[in-house]
Amino acid sequence: MDLRAAVAALAVLACNRPQTATSTPGGPPAVRNDAIVSAGGQAPPATTLTNPFAGDRESVPQGEGTFAAMNCDGCHGIGATGWVGPSLVDGRWRYGGADGAVFHSIYYGRPRGMPAFGGVLSEQAIWKIVTYLRAQPVPGDVPTESWVSTRP
Amino acid sequence: MRPRRAALFPFLCLLGVPALRAQQAPADGQWTMPGKDYAATRYSALGAITPANAPRLVPVWSFATGVLGGHEGQPLVVDNTMYVVTPYPNVLYAFDLTREGYPLKWKYRPEVNPSAVGTACCDAINRGAFYAEGKIVYNLLDGHTVAVDAATGRELWKTQVADLGQGETTPMAPFVVKHHVFVGPSGGEFGIHGWLKALDLETGRVVWTAYSEGPDSDVMAKPGVFRPFYDKGTDLGLSTWPPDVWRRAGVPVWGWLSYDPALDLIYYGTGNAAPYNPEQRAGDNKWASSVLARRPEDGALVWAYQFTPHENWDFDANAEMILADLTIGGRPRQVLVHFDKNGFAYTIDRRTGEVLVAAPFTTLNWATRVDLASGRPVVDSSKLTGASRGNIKDICPSLEGGKSPASPAAYSPRTGWFYTATNNLCMDYQASRSTHIAGTPYIGANTPYHAGPGGYMGAFIAWDAARGRKVWEIREPYPVWSGSVVTAGGVVFYGTLDGWFKAADATTGRLLWKFKVGSGVVGAPITYRGADGKQYVAVYAGIGGDWFLLSGDVRSDDPADIRPPADFMPDIARHTSQGGMVWIFALP
Repeated sequence: MDLRAAVAALAVLACNRPQTATSTPGGPPAVRNDAIVSAGGQAPPATTLTNPFAGDRESVPQGEGTFAAMNCDGCHGIGATGWVGPSLVDGRWRYGGADGAVFHSIYYGRPRGMPAFGGVLSEQAIWKIVTYLRAQPVPGDVPTESWVSTRP
Repeated sequence: MRPRRAALFPFLCLLGVPALRAQQAPADGQWTMPGKDYAATRYSALGAITPANAPRLVPVWSFATGVLGGHEGQPLVVDNTMYVVTPYPNVLYAFDLTREGYPLKWKYRPEVNPSAVGTACCDAINRGAFYAEGKIVYNLLDGHTVAVDAATGRELWKTQVADLGQGETTPMAPFVVKHHVFVGPSGGEFGIHGWLKALDLETGRVVWTAYSEGPDSDVMAKPGVFRPFYDKGTDLGLSTWPPDVWRRAGVPVWGWLSYDPALDLIYYGTGNAAPYNPEQRAGDNKWASSVLARRPEDGALVWAYQFTPHENWDFDANAEMILADLTIGGRPRQVLVHFDKNGFAYTIDRRTGEVLVAAPFTTLNWATRVDLASGRPVVDSSKLTGASRGNIKDICPSLEGGKSPASPAAYSPRTGWFYTATNNLCMDYQASRSTHIAGTPYIGANTPYHAGPGGYMGAFIAWDAARGRKVWEIREPYPVWSGSVVTAGGVVFYGTLDGWFKAADATTGRLLWKFKVGSGVVGAPITYRGADGKQYVAVYAGIGGDWFLLSGDVRSDDPADIRPPADFMPDIARHTSQGGMVWIFALP
C-alpha cells in the first residue's frame, strides 16, 4: 500500500506538470494534451523506440502501481486481464506488441477510447507501465476449444 | 427452463383487475416509444397471438444490422415503417413494411466519435429511439442527440448534450413529453456529475438541466414545490456528501422515463454514486440510486425517494418506473412499480413517493427488509463494503442487479401482473481507493460473480406488485438480460443470453414456443400490427452490453480474448456468439 500511495502521489505530481511536453534527444516527438482526451487515432511517428527499462525487475511493481493509480485497470481490468478495454496480458495486440508499439498506444492514445497519456505521465512512467505489462506471463495459445469429451 | 409456480392464483387477478387509466393506450398497433406508452407498460392491446396458437409462430423476416455488440433497446413501428437504431456507429434504418421483403426507405449514418466506444462503460450499446411529431429522436454514443425526419431521413437538428472528455456517453433512449426531449448521460464509472436535460423538440436547444446531486439550485428542488415523503430538508444533494465530493459523484441517468399526464410528472431513476468504494463518500449520497419525479415543463423536482441510501454495491436505480393503478389493501392506488438492482421490487404511490410495498424478487442478502415507516432498507452490516473492510464475500444480488435496468419489465392490465427478466447472481466485493482523473474510470472495486442458491443464474418471472409476491417463474441457466412485452392475447415474450426467443402463457408461465435467434438477446421485444393487418413480434438478437465486459469467447472478433471475469459461466460460448439481427415473427 505504501508503494501504491507513493506512486499515486507521483501520478498526481505528474498530472500537475505543464500540459505541453518537450522532445528529448532520441525520445518521441512532443505531443500536446490540453486534457486527457483521445488522440483520435494519430499515426505514431516512424521511429523505433527503445525501452530504457526493458527487463528491469524493479520497474515492474512501479509500472503496476502506476497502472492502478492512473485508473488503467478501470478499463483494462485488474491485472490487465481485460474489461471494456482489451486484455493486455493475453499476448494479442491490436496495435502491435513490441515495447515501442505499446509505448505509442499509451503515449498517443488509440482511436476507440484509449486516452493519450503523453504529457500527463512522464516518458519514464510510461516505459515502466510497458515493462510491467511485458513482464506478465502469456498463456499458451490453444486454438481449439472443445466441449465434447474425448474420453470413452 | 421449466416453469415453477411459486404461487398460482389465477382467480386473484380477477379481484385485482385495476382501473385502466393512464396505461391504456388505444390499440393502434404501432410502437412509437421505447416503453410502448407513457406508463412504460410494454403492453400491447393486440390479441391475435394467443397461448393456443403461439406454438405455430414462425420467423417471417430478418435483417443483419452489420454491427456486432450488444443490441439493446427495441425497434419502433410508425406508419408502417420500422425504425432500427444500431449500437455504435448508431445507424438509423427505416424499413418499408408495406413492401415485399421490407426494403429500406432510407438509412441515416451519423458521424460519431469513435473514442466514445472506449468511454462507454459497458459496450457501445444504444437503447433506442422515440417518435414524436414526425421526428425520430435518438442519442448518438458520443454525447449528441439528433432528430431525423421520419419520412425522409433528413437530419433536422443535432445537439451536443454530453462531454466525452468527462467520461459522459449517451446510449440512453430519449423520452418526449409535449415539446421537450429528455436525455441523460452514462458515466457512473467515470465520476461524472449526473443530469437530466430537456431539449426543445423543434430546435434541439437545451431548455434546462437538472442535476442529480448538488445544491438545491442544481437539483432544481424549489421551496414549496419539492415535497418528498421521507427525506425532508434543503440541499440534501449537498449535505449528504463530503464537501466537493458531489461534483464528481456519478449518479448518471441512462435508463427509461415514464410520464403521468394527469399528475403532469415525469419519473426516472438515477444510477450509482462514484466511486464504488463507499468510504470515499460518507453520507446518504442523495440523489444517487433514487427515483425522481419532476415537472416536465420547468424540471422542478416534486418528490424523490432513495432506494439505497449510501449505496455500497453499485446498485443503480435506472430501471423503468411502470405506472399502474392497483388495488392495495382494498384501496385503489396510483402507483409506480420498479424492480431495482438491489433486489427489491417497489410499489410506490406516484403522487407522493410513499413506499406501499417492497419485497425481494430474487436472491437478496444485503438487507433484511425495507422499513415502510422510514422508507429505508434494514441493512445487514456484514455486507457493507469499503477499502478498509477487505473482501466482502457472497453479496446478493451482484452488481449486475437482481434485474438489469437495461431489461425493461412489462405490465398487463389484464392479469394485473408484471413480467420481468431477473438474475440469480451474487458477488464478492473488494473495494480499493480510487483517484479521480477526468475521462478515466473512477471505480475502485473488484467484484467477481457466482451463481446464487440453486445454481441457475436467471429466471423470467411474473410479479404481483400489489402484494409483493412472485406468481410464477421460468428458470434459465444463464442470467436473463432481455426486456419483455405482454399482450392482450395473454402471451409474454422474452429472450435469453444463450440465444433463444421465447413465448410464455402470461397467466400460467407455461413455455409455449421458442426459436434460436443466432445470438444472445439483450434487447426488448415489441409487437405491432402490420400493413396486412396481422400481428407481428419483433426482437433484436446480439449479445453484449454488460456481457461484453465479462465475456471471452463470444467476442468473435477477438476469439482468443478469454477473460477471467466470465469464469462463472464458461460454457456460454457453446451456445452463442456475437451478432446483430432484427427478427420478425408471425403466425403462418
